[in-house]
Amino acid sequence: MMAERRKIDARGAFCPGPLMEMIATLKLSQVGDEIEVWSSDKGSSKDIPEWVAKVGHELVSNEERDGYWSIVVKKLK
Amino acid sequence: MSGKPLFVLVSSGEHEKLHIAAMLASVAAVSDRPVEVFVSMNAIFAFAKDIEPRQRYKGGAFSKLLLERRAPDTLQLLQQGRELGQLKIHACSMALDLLGWTVDNLVTDLFDGDLGLTRFLSDAEAGDLVTF
Repeated sequence: MMAERRKIDARGAFCPGPLMEMIATLKLSQVGDEIEVWSSDKGSSKDIPEWVAKVGHELVSNEERDGYWSIVVKKLK
Repeated sequence: MSGKPLFVLVSSGEHEKLHIAAMLASVAAVSDRPVEVFVSMNAIFAFAKDIEPRQRYKGGAFSKLLLERRAPDTLQLLQQGRELGQLKIHACSMALDLLGWTVDNLVTDLFDGDLGLTRFLSDAEAGDLVTF
């Protein structure tokens, strides 16, 4: 099956909302799928990469855009 | 592999303390740490069934901000921790007895039942204990 990229627009939500939304989506995804989270919460732009490193997924990118962050995570297990 | 279990004792009815306890418990639970939450004293009122958020949460400046802005709801955070991680929530049996309540007086589908402090304390020897 082809890997997918799912997008979550969590702009306006505060910590740990974007992280929890991402984890919920990750649980429903297949290994190899990517989740792109948009978050306007600065704390989440740091917390999501910390969580990804701790539990063993891959941080593909973390970019600041116009008033929000785009964080892409790849499911590895 | 699971991390060291985290035990969270919540006794304050102050919204800010309940909220940081819920944040800590839910994020730990989704980060591969088994979490056990024990709810006692004034904290139990925030978990009463069938009340509105503005009645449920009593607090100060940060409580107002949490309710006005799009901060995640305190009880919903705990629910997410249960759904996405290893999180169990127990109501203090003594607090329920004093109120004449049972677990049925608390919000549905959140609690794993009631528990005595002795058992919670004994279980907590296996991990870290934090109190709010």
